[in-house]
Amino acid sequence: MYYWHWLRHIVRRPFTTGFPTEPDPTVARMADSGAVHTVTVPEGPFYRRSVALRHVDGGSCNGCESELGLLTSPDYDFSRYGFSFTPSPKHADILVVTGVVTEAMIPVIVATYEQMTAPKRVVALGTCAIDGWVFRDAPGVRGRLDSVIPVQVNIAGCPPTPADILRGLWAAIEGEPPPLPHRDGASHAEKQYELVKGESR
Amino acid sequence: MADNRLAQEVFFAGTHGGEYGEWLQAWQAERAEGIETLLLDAHNQSLSVWGLDPDAHRVTQLVWRPPSPDSVWAADPAPSRVGIRETENAEPFIARTWPALPWSSGSPVVRGKGVFFYPLGPVRADVAESVEYRLAVMGDEMIHVDLRAGFKRRHVRTLVVGRYIDEAWPVVTRFTTTSNVHHTLAMALAVEKAWDISVSPTHTLLRTLFAELERIVSHLGDLAVLAVSTGLPLPQMEYLHLKELVLRLNYRLFGHRYLRDLIVPGGVQLTQWPQKADVTWALNTLATVYRQSSDIASGLLNTPSFLDRLHGAGVIPASTVAQVRPVGPVGRASGVSFDVRQALPYVAYVSHPIQPCVETSGDAYARFQVRVRELSVSLSLARILLEEWRDLDTGVQAARVLQMLKGPPLYSPGLGIVEAPRGLLVYGLYPHKDSGRIEHLAVATPSMRNWSAVPEAMANHNIMQDFPIIDASFSLSVSGWDG
Ligand code: SF4
Repeated sequence: MYYWHWLRHIVRRPFTTGFPTEPDPTVARMADSGAVHTVTVPEGPFYRRSVALRHVDGGSCNGCESELGLLTSPDYDFSRYGFSFTPSPKHADILVVTGVVTEAMIPVIVATYEQMTAPKRVVALGTCAIDGWVFRDAPGVRGRLDSVIPVQVNIAGCPPTPADILRGLWAAIEGEPPPLPHRDGASHAEKQYELVKGESR
Repeated sequence: MADNRLAQEVFFAGTHGGEYGEWLQAWQAERAEGIETLLLDAHNQSLSVWGLDPDAHRVTQLVWRPPSPDSVWAADPAPSRVGIRETENAEPFIARTWPALPWSSGSPVVRGKGVFFYPLGPVRADVAESVEYRLAVMGDEMIHVDLRAGFKRRHVRTLVVGRYIDEAWPVVTRFTTTSNVHHTLAMALAVEKAWDISVSPTHTLLRTLFAELERIVSHLGDLAVLAVSTGLPLPQMEYLHLKELVLRLNYRLFGHRYLRDLIVPGGVQLTQWPQKADVTWALNTLATVYRQSSDIASGLLNTPSFLDRLHGAGVIPASTVAQVRPVGPVGRASGVSFDVRQALPYVAYVSHPIQPCVETSGDAYARFQVRVRELSVSLSLARILLEEWRDLDTGVQAARVLQMLKGPPLYSPGLGIVEAPRGLLVYGLYPHKDSGRIEHLAVATPSMRNWSAVPEAMANHNIMQDFPIIDASFSLSVSGWDG
């Protein structure tokens, strides 16, 4: 019977982190100051209270999905900022695309984007969606989401941690990610991003 | 290492130069004797199937070389109709090697009054990988299911051809991130067999620890999805919290939430050296996860609404089990008592034997039970390994190993056979005989095989409302299929 669990959770302290509005050392350590890049500062008014996300897998390795799925967990609970997932693109406000963007998925991504009503924003989740990462040279891989649809925010990382995804979603609404409570030098994601950009094969 | 030698002794069951059908019959005869099929591979103008004899702990290879391709193909029956279903996923691959081969893997067309088609995907559910289900429904019942994959091919196997081992590493670890430890482990075992590299006991122990931590994360995530598919968000949240707890433990101990880039040829590579205090903390965390996950599972087992939905949902028909031989928890829930950790022990499973958790009913409930029991086993084993692990030696000289991998291999191919969270995972590596660059890489992932059991299990007297439960109880990855 599940009632005992339910009662126990009522008296127990919540698992949910205050991050990114409050400092949380455990979660902040997993966030990366260089992970979130605002590509084009979103213009115009946007929803702030109830933001529905539609996720499309454009050819990922399922790491980004695993982290994105954890946003619903009690530890991150993105619904406290008004976020939710929606099955229908027509109800969606933010399109989150993961993976390398294969040629087979381009029409699907475009159709999903077109079905969304304005105002809408697009987030490229993971280094794969930003520039193809290690799969750039694979046959049938486009490798850049911004060559298919306009992108407002890039979230780098392989995979980006849920903390970074939260900050990236925040940036998609506000134009800027919330400040990180701590930073020490160039971050791992920054280095990784530079590595991808500088690498020529 | 004992495990290195085990799989190196490949027993050639025979080379067939005649009809394709004869070779298939030889393969079927092998299976009738209880030899598990590991890997089907088309390479170098020959078709070979690798098998594992679980009793003799021996790997066999059955090769077929077409004498004159054109004449043979014209006279031959369509291969996938012969009754061995693993060929289906290899078909595109084989068809590329021999374009003259007439493949006819078309599925039956379902038509009739009152039959409705639901195309579902590739954009589906909340957060899901891209695959398309085509459900044929009559009334409430699903009468036929077709799967369309191939939306997300990243061509991992093509991409690594011509690369040195270290250059291929970043791609291999991104085949499927939720089992990246096992992908790199299988690749590392294959490399170590090809170049005959030995691994120090501490590194072997750590590799096993990584593997078990990955299995724990994977099973916790799968159980969470299964719980919510029956409309129970509370256990879902509790499982997700435990998953996040273990991911944070991974991060704190080893510097990456999914333990990426830790396994390298010749050993493990740690950028972060865990402190002793952290090990004590990790042991306590794993104990908490063990206690709480058993608590959630017993709660679910006492929830009639959960059990009602699972019992009898998505039973894999016996004929499909015989043809496909599903692997991993899916296979073990259908009575296939096969676990690589027991059948062909590798890394530290040699000294820590594992008994396969087997159920026979083949429904969603059995798959739930197998996962729950395997989760407890993995949690106990991870704690034992953490306790055993004392000081790290400097066994691996990365530079020396890397230099070696740019030279000729001693054996080819090298085989790496592991039990990934979703089941049997095999890497067959053919390095170039002088330069050591990859000439050919064959991979058999558990998802490739298990997906072919999904349509039959769904169209087996289930109604539409069972679809998410059956889908969740299989918990297969699309990236492992479409790699
Ligand atoms: S960014 Fe990394 S985790 Fe995300 S899809 Fe690409 S390879 Fe996978």
